[in-house]
Formats: sequence, C-alpha cells, structure tokens
Amino acid sequence: MTEDDFKGHPYLANSQKDLDGMMEYLGIKDVNDLYSDIPEEIKFKGDLDIPFYESEYALMEAIKVKLSKNLTTRELRSFIGGGVLDIYVPALQDEILRRTEFYSGYTQYQEEVSQGSLQALFEYQSMICELTGMDLANASLYDWATGVGEAALMCARITKRNKFLYTSAIAPNREAVLKNYVTGAKLSLEIVPHDSTTGKMDITKAKEMMDETFAGIYIENPNFFGVIEDEIEEIINDAHEKGIRVVVGADMNSLALMKSPGEYGADICIGEGQTIGGGPLNFGGPLLGIMSMKYDKRDIRQLPGRIVGITITQKEGERAFCNTLQTREQHIKRERATSNICTNEALVALSCAVHLALLGKEGYKDSAETMYLSSHYVASELEKKGIKRVFTGEFFNSFLIDLKVPKSKKKEFTNFMLERKILAGIPYSFDGENYDYLITTSYLLCEDDLNDFVKAIGEWRN
Amino acid sequence: MYRQAKYDEPLIFDLSKKGRRANIPPRCDFPREDIKIPESMKRTKLPELPELHEGEVMRHYVRLAQMNYCVDTGMYPLGSCTMKYNPKINETIARSEKMMYLHPNQPEESVQGILQILYELQVALGNLAGLPHTTLQTPAGASGEYCGLALIKAYHDDHENKQRDEIIAPDSSHGTNPASTVMNGMKLIEIKSNEDGRVNMDALKAAVSEKTAGLMLTNPNTLGIFEKDIIEMSQIVKEAGGLLYYDGANFNAIVGKIRPGDMGYDVLHFNLHKTFSTPHGGGGPGAASVSCNDILEPYLPVPTIDYDKDKDYYFFNHDRPKSIGKLHGYYGNVAIALRAYAYIAALGFEGLQHTAEQACLTANYAVRKLEKIDGFRLSHGPSIPRKHEGVLEATPALRNYDVSGKDIGKMILDHGMHAPTVYFPLIAHEAWMVEPTENENKDTIDKYVDAVEIEMEKARKDVEYAHHAPYNATVSRVDIGWSVKNLVVSYKILKEKLENGEYVP
Repeated sequence: MTEDDFKGHPYLANSQKDLDGMMEYLGIKDVNDLYSDIPEEIKFKGDLDIPFYESEYALMEAIKVKLSKNLTTRELRSFIGGGVLDIYVPALQDEILRRTEFYSGYTQYQEEVSQGSLQALFEYQSMICELTGMDLANASLYDWATGVGEAALMCARITKRNKFLYTSAIAPNREAVLKNYVTGAKLSLEIVPHDSTTGKMDITKAKEMMDETFAGIYIENPNFFGVIEDEIEEIINDAHEKGIRVVVGADMNSLALMKSPGEYGADICIGEGQTIGGGPLNFGGPLLGIMSMKYDKRDIRQLPGRIVGITITQKEGERAFCNTLQTREQHIKRERATSNICTNEALVALSCAVHLALLGKEGYKDSAETMYLSSHYVASELEKKGIKRVFTGEFFNSFLIDLKVPKSKKKEFTNFMLERKILAGIPYSFDGENYDYLITTSYLLCEDDLNDFVKAIGEWRN
Repeated sequence: MYRQAKYDEPLIFDLSKKGRRANIPPRCDFPREDIKIPESMKRTKLPELPELHEGEVMRHYVRLAQMNYCVDTGMYPLGSCTMKYNPKINETIARSEKMMYLHPNQPEESVQGILQILYELQVALGNLAGLPHTTLQTPAGASGEYCGLALIKAYHDDHENKQRDEIIAPDSSHGTNPASTVMNGMKLIEIKSNEDGRVNMDALKAAVSEKTAGLMLTNPNTLGIFEKDIIEMSQIVKEAGGLLYYDGANFNAIVGKIRPGDMGYDVLHFNLHKTFSTPHGGGGPGAASVSCNDILEPYLPVPTIDYDKDKDYYFFNHDRPKSIGKLHGYYGNVAIALRAYAYIAALGFEGLQHTAEQACLTANYAVRKLEKIDGFRLSHGPSIPRKHEGVLEATPALRNYDVSGKDIGKMILDHGMHAPTVYFPLIAHEAWMVEPTENENKDTIDKYVDAVEIEMEKARKDVEYAHHAPYNATVSRVDIGWSVKNLVVSYKILKEKLENGEYVP
C-alpha cells in the first residue's frame, strides 16, 4: 500500500511509513508474513458480521438509541435492593474516577511509579476495617457473591475441614455462587433454618448443627430478609469453641448504626462495596467484593486477592506502598495459590474510598439513618393499611412485605407498579407459589415517593 | 528526562479534622430519634472515617493520581496484559444515565436496551471466537477460565466420565491456568515445552489418558510463539476423549485473523480488558466473555441472555437444567462489556484485523531491536516470528555485568516508560516479556529501545547505578520483603505498631 492509499484509524498508531519502516527492518514485505508459520487451513478467510460505525459521533448515537429503550431507577422509583442499591455518586468522585492515571494503569508491578493507586488502595483497606471492625482487608474481590464462595474456601483451608454451614436467610444469587465455588473443593453445605416468625436464624437449631467437622458458618446480618440477627453473638462463642470460623456478610450501610462484626467477634467480614459508594448500579457490575478479617499471622496467608502494605525503600526513612504477601497469589504459587483471582475490582475500591472520604464519619451515618427511617416509615404506613411485614424481627432498610402475590399474577403486579413508576422490590417465595416482596429504601427516595409506594401497594391489595 | 511527581502526601486519616464535611448526602426530615436498633446490636462508636472539606479530598486524590504511571503517560509494554489505549468515548458512553441507573433485578421489559447490546456483543464475540454460544457473566479472565473448565468438567460428568479430572497445560502457561484448574477440583498435568518454546508433542501424547478432561492452551503462547501444531494437538486430545480450552489472554495477536473454534478449541475466554480495550483500572475491573460450542452450551452459567426474534424481545433464560450455576452475583461486569461493544463497533471487522496485524508488527520490531542490545538475547526459537509479544532474556546482562532483568526494568522507569512483564513466563530466564500493542508507533518503540540501550551502557560502567534504580520515580527502589515481614496492611495496624514503639517508615 502507498502512503496516499493509507487510511488511518484513531486506535492504530502507525502510518504507512512507520509500517514500511518496521517491515523493512524485519525483512518482510507484508505484515501477513508474520503469520507465515500458521497453517493455512486455520486462517480465517471469510467476512464476519461485526457492527461498525466510522465516526465517534455515529457510534455514540447508535449506542444511545439502543440504550434509550431502558427505563432507569431515576426515571422510576426504585425500591429494589438485595445486595446492590441505587446511590448518588458526587461530582468529585467521578472527576477522580476519570483520572486516567488511576483507570488506565494496571496492577502495581512497578511499585516505584504506582504509589498513587497503592496508597489509595491502602486507605481503602483501612476504611473498610473502620466499618467492619476488622484488622485488615484485601484490595477487593469481584462482588459480595463471589466473596461468600471465597470465604467458604478460605475457612476450609484454615481449618482443613470440608463442611460449611450457612443460614437460610441468604440471598439466592449469593447462595448460587457459593454452591458453585465449593464444588471443586468438594465442600458439603448445610443450612441453618430461620425462625418463621422473627425471620432470624434458628439459634437453637444452629447450636445443634454445629460440631467440630464444620470449617465455618456464614451469616448475613441484617439477613437477606432484612432482619437484624441480634442474637448472633450467642452463636459466635459456640462456633469458636468448636473451632468453626464465623463469616458475616454485612450490609455495609447498616454498619453506621449497627455494631461491627469485628466487635461482636466474627472472624471474617464480607459484603458489597457498591452500596457504600463503589459506583452506580450499572445493571449489576462492576461491583466490589469486600473481604476483611481479624489479624492472625497464620490465617492471613489464606486470604485471597491482593493486599497492599506499607514498606521501606532503599532510601532511609522513606515510606512506600506495595502489594504484599504475593506468595499467596496465582502468578507465583500457580496451582497452590489461595485463589485464581488476578484482575480484581481495584478501581471500584478506589472509588469507594473516595466516596467514604467525601461522606466522612457524619455523612456515612446520615445516609444510613435516612435509609433506616425511610423504610420504617413505609413499614408503618403499610401497617396502617393492614399490610404487614412477613417477619417481626427488627430491620435496617429492607423488609419483606406480606403480599402473597400468586405466581400467575406476578407479571401483572410488576406492570401495575411500573405504571405507577415504581420498581417494586425483589419477589421471594417460601412455598414456590406465592410471592412476597423484599423492598429496600435508599436515601434517594423522598417522602412523596414513599407515599406513592404505600398508596400503590394499598391499591393493589384492594 | 522524566521526573515523576513526589508529594509527601499523608494518609487521608492524618488529614482529618473533626466536624468538616466534604459532601452532604440526600436526607429526609424524619425524626432521627426514631432509630431503634436492638440494644445488643447498636453501634456505640462511629467508624473513624476521615473528615475533610471537599477541596482537600480533591487535592489528596489529584496528588495521588500524579504519583501514578499509566497507559496515557507513555509506553506500557507489559507482556500478557495488552495495555492498549482506552478510548475515551467508551468512558463517556459508559456514563450514560441509561447505563448507570439500571438495577439488575429490574423487570426485563425495562432493560431491553442494555440486553440488546449485551446480546449483540455475545454474537460479535462468538463470531470472532468461531464458537457460537457466549456468556458475559464472568467478571475477569480468571473467572472465565474457571467457568470454561467447569463446563468441561460438567460435560464429562454428564457423559459418565467422572474420572476425567486432569487438565493438561504447558509449563509456559499463565499462573491463573493451574489455579483455575485446582479451583475446579481438577488436577494439573504440566508438560514441558520444546526448545523452541512450543508444546512438546511427545510429552502431550504421553500425558493424555482416560483421565484427561482437557488441554488448556493459549495460542500464541506466552512466548508470543504460535503453536503451529494445534490441529494435531487437538486431534491427540480429542482422540483421548478430552476437550480443548483456549486461554484468550493473547487473542490480540490474531483477532479477526484466526478463530479459535477453527483451531479445534471447544471453549474459550476473552479478556475484554485486553483485546477489547477496556481500562485495567489499576488492577480491575476487567471482564471476560466465555464462548463455547454446541456440546458445552447446556452447561453455561445461568441466566443466559437470549433473543426472541418473533416478539423482538431480549430475555434472561433461567431454564437451564444442566447449567453449572452462577459465577457472579448478577450478569458480570456489564458496564465494562458496554465499553468493549463500543470498541468493537468503532473498529469493525477490518479494523480489528488491523489491530492484530499492527500488534504483531510492533512486537516483532521491538524484540528484534532489543535483542541486539548487549545484555539481552531472545528466548526460544530465534528464527520463529513472534506474534503480539516476545520474550527476551537478560541472562547475558546478569552473567556478564551483574545486572538483572529487574534492574533494567527499574532503570527504564526513569525515562518515563514502563517496564515489561519481568520474570514471566517461568520457562525463560531473567524474562523480559514485551507487548507494545498497536497503540505504539515506530518512533515510540525506537525511543524505548534507545532508552534501554542508554541504561545498559550506564549499567555496564556502574553496576551500583543499576542496583539502585530508579532515581526519578516517586520513591526509591521498593523493598517488598520488609512489607511481608511486618504486615502493616491497615491504618489500624499502623497505629498499633507506632504506639508499641515499632519502626514503620
């Protein structure tokens, strides 16, 4: 091709002259000569149907047209939680997130030129410890759900036992991932039932079930039904006596009002970082898997994922940060690594740290209080209309409304609420036939939205 | 000469002063005294989050940003990581309100737009893979590997071949390969590579048996060398009853030129943050797609995203009785997938082919120039063309001048350039794994090579200079060993250590 025929593309760096120069150096006439060692029969000769928009404007418009078919949580009013939540991302936070220095680098293999993101991740880990009451945290896992799986495997490695216990009030998606993650290690899972009145785990039953063959127990608090597990401490002492590790899955916003898992004795605390500022909902990803633990010299070596620590340099007295305990990781230990995780959610972790720094102590508490009060307002207004919660246990910002929508009417209910610009929560069925709805309030819903919701539910019931 | 920013930036906690606010979250007017958490669960002491004002938060993070090297600073030839340019339009598109504010549990009819894009992306990636069925649920390459291997395992179990639990992989494979194998409860059979860096066919023949679940192989391999015998390998493995897994970490070399499905692979993952340009995020988020053929399709994770042509309706298909289950809480890293879609659509089929070609050309040019520098040699098969990356060995530098591959990497930092991946793959010595990508032009590569030349010359004269580099980075050479011994991994631990009078810098 001559220079005059050459057509550049914004993502391709070389001009025809560059290409010719490099080919000349390599002694080849055609760039395809670099593929000369590949058998002809496997080279693809056809054409493929791949979308193509030549200009940036055309590309943007085409995607916008497609996306326009979505209805957002801002056009509607979202009462959906379940592990992720619509949040407000302050302007400053996105400004930082768009700093190319943070988003276009990779894992800090050359620490000397990557101190910025390393320090930011160290600060993230530290903030998570403040929330969870733990001593240390890793620099992220994919999400809460994979965190449950990783935590179960970690307990098994620590205790060298192959049974794992969890409570029935677990989110179905997290349960599904847990089941998948433990197949390879052949862990057997057992479930502690919940009390059908309070919605809390059945403490007596849990104590009965726990014996010295279990590696760990996973308890969500507040649990998936929204109920606060206020007797959890009783279980923890019992578990520890039997050498069972206690993993708590915490709603990270609830920790502004609720005692931290570290304080009540859990060994490992996991959760979802999106809800405390990791980022927008993004249809469920990217998210931020939080994993934190009590310090133990031996157990820390079983923690999956990257960990940033403070260290020294060749210059006396100079502080630096680096990824530490790398011998746990796949790039060094290969088949003996604690996990296969490599690429994680570092930028979401950094984003979460910026969010928490913006909120500060008081802002973090304010947001949690608003969530609490909004949901309690809805609950009490519903009750005035004779619509009850499924469970009597205390809750934070989520609860199951006793609606018993028959399977056949589920779609109708969804549309009924959609017509009123409401996303009505997550359907959950105890009998496989009738559905109650798990609703969650963020701080984005104002009093009118809450009243509209109560009104709509009332209308449906009539 | 490069001078990286250096601030003695305190930890954000040490900037905190009581009562300052940086942002006021939305709030309601309900009386706060109505908050009644059960006594046994009440928090008595608020978490010590820093209290700053808005401007100070901004300064803190801007300073940290300035102490960070990135793709947009300069050449970042990390082998196996494909550090290509992250198009800015993708960042803008991903920030559409119609993307950001979608809850994963919203009813299908309210998210037809994003489902359509995900579906079209699945089709495009499936086309490039030569494997028709695709999931986007896996949030990273390692998760993709885990998923693909789980499909293979499920297939064998389903065909009453439960004993098939061995995955064969060469000793040049990525570290995630063996780790994902073990996570699936399978055994890794590592086979030695040939002198030319390719799979040793005799070793492969010897490794297959009635226990073989599959072969896991990236192609081109981690040396950047194409496994030309792939068809024969595929036959050997298939005759033994095994399946083939393609680790797509190196797909940038052949995108649009060769389809893994046509090489005999049954299942693969692509790293959307490598070949398809989505940002690496300082470690993540990335995303992976997993594509497979008809025999593995029944086992794909739930839900799959399907399309009903008659009703022009996109939907989640949960009705998959043989599925391996779920690998992510929701549908994977959707906002990353959207960026990958935008990248693919900005290039089209021909454009993608050109990226592969230029990626190979820049890599060959770079390694052939670098190998001429006193201190370096090319690892394995000197006459074989490389693909998107190549591996040099700094063995002569170490042997003749006491300068290690790591030292040279550190010296390069002083030029405002990033080091390659060092000490990987493990089958090379003093490995320098170079992958410039199509984002680098000839001039930039020439400058990179010149910089290596200049630094090697300095190092040959003064070995101490080499051992203490870098000099112009934010901090001096970092000692990782100290961090492992002392484990100062949170502010809480830092405070405790300082209170106990222990030394922490």
